[in-house]
Amino acid sequence: MKFRKVLAVVLSAAMTIGALAGCGGTTAQAPAPAATEEAAPAATEEPALAATEEAAPAEDGEVQEITFMVWDDLEASQDLITKGYKQSVDRFNEDFAGKYHCTPITTNLEEYYDKLNALVTAGDTPDVFIASPGANLNDYATTGVAAKMDDYLNADGWKQTFTSDAVFAGGTYGDDGGDGPGIYAIPLNIAAACVFYNTEMFADAGAEVPKTFDELLDACQKLQDKGYTPITISAGTAWCLSMVAGYLCDRNGLNLQDIKDHKTDWMDPKVINAGKQIQQLSKYFQKTAAGDDNDIATAAFYNGEAAILIQGSWAIGQINGSCAEGFADKVGVFAFPAVDGSSADPNRVIAKSDSLCMSAQTQYPDAAVQLIKYFVDDTASKYTAEVGGKIPVTNVQYDTAVAPPELAYVMDVFKSASSTFGFYNESLYDTEAGSTFDNCFVEIFKGEDPETALEPIQEYYEENVW
Amino acid sequence: MDRLLRNKKAIILFIAPAFILFTLVLFVPICKAVYYSFCNYKTLHPIKFIGLNNYVKLFTKDRAMAAALKNSIFFMIFSIVTQFVMGLFLAALLTNIRRGRNLFKNIYYLPCVLSSAALGLLWMFVFTPKLGINQMMTSFGWISDCTEGPQWLFNTDGYIILPIIVISFVALWQYVGQSMMLYMAQISGISSDIYEAAAIDGCSKSQAFFRITLPLIRPMIATAMSLNAIGSLKFFDLVYNMIPEGFLGDKAHVLATHMYTQAFKFNKLGYGSAIGCVLLVMCLVVTVIINKFVKVEPYDM
Repeated sequence: MKFRKVLAVVLSAAMTIGALAGCGGTTAQAPAPAATEEAAPAATEEPALAATEEAAPAEDGEVQEITFMVWDDLEASQDLITKGYKQSVDRFNEDFAGKYHCTPITTNLEEYYDKLNALVTAGDTPDVFIASPGANLNDYATTGVAAKMDDYLNADGWKQTFTSDAVFAGGTYGDDGGDGPGIYAIPLNIAAACVFYNTEMFADAGAEVPKTFDELLDACQKLQDKGYTPITISAGTAWCLSMVAGYLCDRNGLNLQDIKDHKTDWMDPKVINAGKQIQQLSKYFQKTAAGDDNDIATAAFYNGEAAILIQGSWAIGQINGSCAEGFADKVGVFAFPAVDGSSADPNRVIAKSDSLCMSAQTQYPDAAVQLIKYFVDDTASKYTAEVGGKIPVTNVQYDTAVAPPELAYVMDVFKSASSTFGFYNESLYDTEAGSTFDNCFVEIFKGEDPETALEPIQEYYEENVW
Repeated sequence: MDRLLRNKKAIILFIAPAFILFTLVLFVPICKAVYYSFCNYKTLHPIKFIGLNNYVKLFTKDRAMAAALKNSIFFMIFSIVTQFVMGLFLAALLTNIRRGRNLFKNIYYLPCVLSSAALGLLWMFVFTPKLGINQMMTSFGWISDCTEGPQWLFNTDGYIILPIIVISFVALWQYVGQSMMLYMAQISGISSDIYEAAAIDGCSKSQAFFRITLPLIRPMIATAMSLNAIGSLKFFDLVYNMIPEGFLGDKAHVLATHMYTQAFKFNKLGYGSAIGCVLLVMCLVVTVIINKFVKVEPYDM
């Protein structure tokens, strides 16, 4: 009887402890709230460590463990830029062994912000995380999630290693910054959205590199007549279609600031015209564009199944990282064409930079800053240009003979650009507005009348912005 | 045992873990969610009480909510009806066969124990135009090209769009084993004396099913229907994993995916809580209705 009583008590206790243990707990990476509050002032008072600082064990002998969240799988990805990020993390861990250690949190691009937001909401913000300037970065920079980086940039001449102050434009905030005016994100590289094309297919079809939208349609028709799929694009991953929509709106002369200031609205003839042009262009998309995600759509170009891919210059990393040998030699690049009859500047380019933020609540700001420096030091920046094929943001001298030839084409487009603008879905009022814009153009692509399809974004702005 | 049940300390000791867990993990979060649903609560922004604004917006201006409600209600009705019919049919069939009962029971139940996320990805491949069913249709010569076949997960025409219908069938395949097991458990509990007496009175097999089996398993019908209704209303995994988020926009949302999108993608935790509260109320209402209309009377089996 006594044994049964003891057994009952032990089992009850085990059940209770087991159940409560499942409720969660803090890991080494998650700073305790008290520790966070104490660490926060130190972040602004202590100067950043020099990039050349030698590794030395932490004073208390414990390794400072930080996390870095990125939108790709560092171990499995074939993307050369991602491989470069892994190298930076590995170099950091090696150089600071026994003092700092970084554990990457990897996910995929489609789910990245959902997961990051969940971590932020749970008070478990990664110490360093990647973000795109625009509405996504706004969410972190204006709410105190991302730390202001000015003190660290100015402490040891780090800022002077960047090509110009202009590279910080996307991460600079005024009074709306969570900790006042300043820089909240460090750019890593710049990608320009261009039109990649298969030179062999173009030559075979007798198509010329188009300068105007009508010429683009003409080239697509020739490619289609020759039996090629003219354009591969993803409507399943809405930003791909949205990128083209953004270009068309811009080429038609739309100014996003005018929309924001309500000098015009989403029913502007320029936007309607862009919608009609998407429908004209969609006749030349691959048949499965509706459901293909970005990976499937880009693979169609890399596998030589389609002639044109409208994509950011990060595609260079993929072309040289995962395509069959010799394919990269067939790839040419041209700027998105002008719209016939429009007075808009045809030399504007969509540019996007991957940027790193440091959590304002990080327990180890010095370790986090050191990690960020490893992403933009000379080794990383040379890799960005020579291997990854992206435009570096620092004054690094890279070997143009080693860099992928496509980078030179993209640099030509970028250098001849009169100005740059962001992805439309990342440049609107907030992430929901961007998502609504994406959905509107997907509806247009599916054949909906542009005026009807644009009603949701119009209503969203009437409800939330104007 | 009686002595143990008279011991108040023992009663408190055994009830305490469940009570504490229920309070901490369920009751407190529900109360907080109800409060947040009346607030403008965005990630890391101060919480501001706004009364019924979230609910007004939800039911008057939110296009995605209208689609989500329509899809969730369709999903619930489809699940209740098909799982009742198929689950009962399989249960009746398996309780009446002697050989292979356990084998088929395990086969039908197997999808229930598999991860919905993994199954969602697998079924997505099955319905992707370049793979799976359309490829099979091409090889049989039914369609000339795999891209010419039905766009199973991308067709947005019609009042109830094809992707939602497709996912409803996948959910039926996945969860019918659960209903079957519940009905089998209840059918197995019916005394064979009743069937023997009915057979002596000249009752046919089908009469025995409709006059004896069906009335005697009513309590389980109510339970299974309630579980199906609640499960289908809060259904998330397959929809989230099978449907390309970008392409379908607002048309393919169910309540759970809409709540997730608003709360975590757009950081509108207050608005997401309001959707969660609507979902909670719907689950309660449906459970009450089912238990009211499927009358449960105790039978001595």
